[in-house]
Amino acid sequence: MTHPPVTPAGPARVWDEQDDRRALARTWHDPEGFFGWFRATTHQAIGRRYVLTAFIFLLIGGVEAMLMRIQLARPENHFLGPARYNQIFTMHGTTMMFLFAVPVMEGMGIYLVPLMLGTRNVAFPRLNAFGYWIYVMGGIFLYANAFTGAMPDVGWFAYPPLSGPQFSVGKGVDAWAQMITYTEISALCVAVELIVTIFRLRAPGMSLNRIPLYCWSMLIQSFMVVFAMPAVMIASTVMLLNDRTIATHFVNPAEGGDPLLFQHVFWFFGHPEVYIIFLPALGFVSAIVQANSRRQVFGYSAMVLSQVATGFIAFGLWVHHMFATGLPQIGEAYFTAASMMIAVTTGIQIFCWLATLWTGRLRMTAAMHFIFGFLFIFVLGGLTGVMLASIPLDLQSHDTYFVVAHFHYVLIGGALFPLFGAFHHWFPKITGRRIDEGLGKFSFWLLFIGFNVTFFPMHILGLNGMTRRIYTYPASLGWASGNMIATIGAGIIALGGLVFIVNAISSMRRGAGADANPWDAAGLEWSVASPPPPWNFTYQPVVSSRVPLWTDPALRTVVTGMRTDRREVLVTGVTEAEPQFRTVLPGASLWPFLAAAGISIGFAGSIFAFSWYYVAAFLGALGIIGWFWPSPPKDVEP
Amino acid sequence: MSPTRTLDVSGLPAYEISNRAPLWWGQLFMALIEGALFCMLIAMYFYLRLSIDVWPPPGVKPPGLTLPTLALIPLVLSAGGSYAASEGAKRDDRRMMLLGMGGNLALAIVFLVLRFIEWNTFNFTWAADIHGTLVWSILFLHTFDVIADLLMTAILIGIVADNKHGPKQRLGVHVDSVLWYFLVLIWLPLYVAVYWGPRLVGSR
Amino acid sequence: MRPGPQSAFDAAGSAARVTGDLFWYFLIPLAVIFLIVIAIAIISIFRRHRGIEQEPLEGTHRPSAQTERRLTRVVTGASVLTLLILLGFIVASVATGKAISGRAMPSNAITIEVSASQWWWNIHYLNDNASLILTTANEIHVPVGRAVLIRGVSQDVIHSFWVPSLIGKRDLIPSRVTTAWFTAEREGSFRGQCAEFCGLQHAHMALWVVAETPEKFDQWMKAQLADAANPSTPSEQAGEKVFLDKGCSLCHTIRGADVEGLIAEGQVAPDLTHLASRMTIAAGTLPNNRGNLGGWITDPQSIKPGNHMATIPLAAAELQPLLDYLGSLK
Repeated sequence: MTHPPVTPAGPARVWDEQDDRRALARTWHDPEGFFGWFRATTHQAIGRRYVLTAFIFLLIGGVEAMLMRIQLARPENHFLGPARYNQIFTMHGTTMMFLFAVPVMEGMGIYLVPLMLGTRNVAFPRLNAFGYWIYVMGGIFLYANAFTGAMPDVGWFAYPPLSGPQFSVGKGVDAWAQMITYTEISALCVAVELIVTIFRLRAPGMSLNRIPLYCWSMLIQSFMVVFAMPAVMIASTVMLLNDRTIATHFVNPAEGGDPLLFQHVFWFFGHPEVYIIFLPALGFVSAIVQANSRRQVFGYSAMVLSQVATGFIAFGLWVHHMFATGLPQIGEAYFTAASMMIAVTTGIQIFCWLATLWTGRLRMTAAMHFIFGFLFIFVLGGLTGVMLASIPLDLQSHDTYFVVAHFHYVLIGGALFPLFGAFHHWFPKITGRRIDEGLGKFSFWLLFIGFNVTFFPMHILGLNGMTRRIYTYPASLGWASGNMIATIGAGIIALGGLVFIVNAISSMRRGAGADANPWDAAGLEWSVASPPPPWNFTYQPVVSSRVPLWTDPALRTVVTGMRTDRREVLVTGVTEAEPQFRTVLPGASLWPFLAAAGISIGFAGSIFAFSWYYVAAFLGALGIIGWFWPSPPKDVEP
Repeated sequence: MSPTRTLDVSGLPAYEISNRAPLWWGQLFMALIEGALFCMLIAMYFYLRLSIDVWPPPGVKPPGLTLPTLALIPLVLSAGGSYAASEGAKRDDRRMMLLGMGGNLALAIVFLVLRFIEWNTFNFTWAADIHGTLVWSILFLHTFDVIADLLMTAILIGIVADNKHGPKQRLGVHVDSVLWYFLVLIWLPLYVAVYWGPRLVGSR
Repeated sequence: MRPGPQSAFDAAGSAARVTGDLFWYFLIPLAVIFLIVIAIAIISIFRRHRGIEQEPLEGTHRPSAQTERRLTRVVTGASVLTLLILLGFIVASVATGKAISGRAMPSNAITIEVSASQWWWNIHYLNDNASLILTTANEIHVPVGRAVLIRGVSQDVIHSFWVPSLIGKRDLIPSRVTTAWFTAEREGSFRGQCAEFCGLQHAHMALWVVAETPEKFDQWMKAQLADAANPSTPSEQAGEKVFLDKGCSLCHTIRGADVEGLIAEGQVAPDLTHLASRMTIAAGTLPNNRGNLGGWITDPQSIKPGNHMATIPLAAAELQPLLDYLGSLK
């Protein structure tokens, strides 16, 4: 492959940065107005929307948690009856897992990855928009059922036969099952576009072993999504929803089906799912640790390889959710071994970060506080995970508050704390303003203390016999004090969240202006203005190290010759990122929204009658035809 | 800021119709996703089949072999049409694109007709028992994908015939072939599972 | 939070005891590892002030090759150590797993079939001799020192049998039979609870296991196998009449000369032949006394909303004799 000439001194042809910037602004600006909002396809707009929408779902899920904690604060409480409580814990888990955790990580990825890679947009901008609309519509669809009284109440994993047609009458479980289809399609869209963006659209010179560790995390996570998400669609829609609506027999033992098969298929997705949530957070940790230690993260290759290993091993663990079902012992022992081995790959990454912190010049920003919170909480949760990998220990802890404590430690510690660190770290870049560090640290302490006060007692409650998903408990079992402490902790968490929200809003309004690189960090996203212009880089940089802004602060080699009157990006080689050809990305378009709306209508109807799938197909086809219909100019020759 | 060095890419092609195109990669991953779905269905088929002694359950006629095996012929040949269309797209040869896509469409329709005839010979529905559920689920999903791809091909034929195609649409024709190869390839293990599963695995 | 009667910390059975030991084998090394990791992290924060081995990273942002080599050795060592510790855990876990597995069960075990339904436990003490099969509900007695094999089935959805002081969980799955065993090692009453979400009243699906000496257990079995005592007082006789006339016998069985549940095989509700001998009613929800029983019969939905027991209106003149009769079923 021949490379275009690099001119040693001075430009090959005359170019004017001001002119180019004006042209780029015209080409790349997001459309304005009411209808314009539905047509945006820049990754910053879509990324922001994902994060904001996911955050709203986080708050809703938090309210649901608060309601549960109030009910459980005292034995034999009458704040919530069993029906309502069962709906609320189901919605809490479902909202957090499907409507918050995965979308927020996707949204941050959509925003950050093109900036970190030195390109202008993701590879499939309209697919990006489509994925967002499907996600939002799925969330609205699920919650709209609250108005018809059809809320699911069988837990976020909805085991049959309880969730089947005989024992769960009504549309609540149907709505749950179909909502998963929406969010799963959304996640798949993002996964595909991130993989292709990371592999094909990097800045020249950014070979694969130079991409930021966060981009490795998103790449591996996206592969996991590709292989895990189809399984949950099968479990929820093909197996459960069809058994409920068109009398198939996947989980009906009377006709040869098997309720345990649902568990296998669901957990084949469910275990990788938590790593899908967790891996991007590891990427945040690397980025924040690097910037605030003033040195590269130690052990780049080890970090990458252990995450790849984690991604693979995660697909081989699912039976550890089923140890109590009486499966053959030899098979189960394999899953014990695999579940423990994944602690090695995760442990290697922890050791690399500790090595970085130990030899770095640390700056304890608010974001770094959250990283240390992550270390404390996640490692504790990981260690209880090692316990749960042991079958005898799991048989005592499974389905008790011990497990509730474990997964909140690893999910909140492992994903939410790094996420909040990321909010504080990239806040200047996204909003153009500094976030208040003092308030940030204060919110950290409230969240950290509140979290431990809430969830640490649950370890003991679980081993003292408190099972999961119970709406009340008798006073004679000695669980009252632990539950009261946990509820108080939940209040402290809520306070911490409130302080964060206040901090974010007031900093956006009145925070000090941020320049391009307030943290003196190394990644390409810190080379552009805060907030970045819609086209990111007026001239894409040419990269020669893992830490471009540290080795070459002025980014002295740039790409020229790209068109400014089309949304053009440079396609580069997979491993070495040598420039190969240019391609034009689509501009703003209403079709992604229309296609998503059509498909959503069909999916919503499908819980009432199977033929609505054909409506989805028809409307979706119309939308996709419009999407791809040729529009002038036909040729893209210069 | 004035950089010292520039990398002038204006000489690079403005597009490329090959397997290096991002859209081709996107289609490949879509195929992988569908593949994961179908592989899980195959695993489910055998998981359930191996836990049941009599398969298919009594009273159920196992799906006949003749029609689906015959139908393999137009299916595999239709991939040739895709290949021709894809090559035509790369060379900007309108006639070759139309012939290739047309051939693909015709052969695929023959395949579907044979399949619909075959469905009429089944004496079980998806609600009859687990065997019926599995067979119909697999066949339905695969057929749905085939029809979707056919519609896409038909529309592309329309666009190319109307001479409305530019490089983007040619890339579409080229990329469409990836999906079709996948649908042909994934059908082979599905075919083995559905039609040979009852005859090969375990005792009847 | 002291251990109550449903605590895994208070091991009274073989399975719970070896699991409890394993818990400490895991907890102590893991706690040490945790403290070391946190200590390193926190010390890192304060190291920057000490200037020892602190390289001037501003500017180059690059530590020396020597530092990186040393870190490589430490990280590799820590990773290998982690692997070895985990291997040790695996070995310990598999060994304990073998000790509680079916193959380790001593012979001469009592087999108890636990048949779970939405929100109560149907209990059958199995025996080759059909006349020695005992059917009861929600309360199990076992002899200390003798193995007990739990044979788990479900009549509707997935439930899970769990008595933390004695044994880890075993799911009860419709159309399957699962098994688990334990040996009670001391006398006592131990509470258990359904551990797989099974619907509206999952929270109120508990049971009691009473471990007693073999002699007391034999006495209990003998008393339980006997038919119900015939009502002796006029009030008790009137109560028996209420039981038969008001529909209770449509779902419940009382084994006696002239009383039998209409659904002989299916057993849709707990066997009440020796109701008065039980510690609790409504699957561990309420202590078994006259007041609670009266309240339960009068309005089961207020105590366990959504449960499948019908609400049968009874006048006081019917309720009191009924309670007398039920109270006589020792």
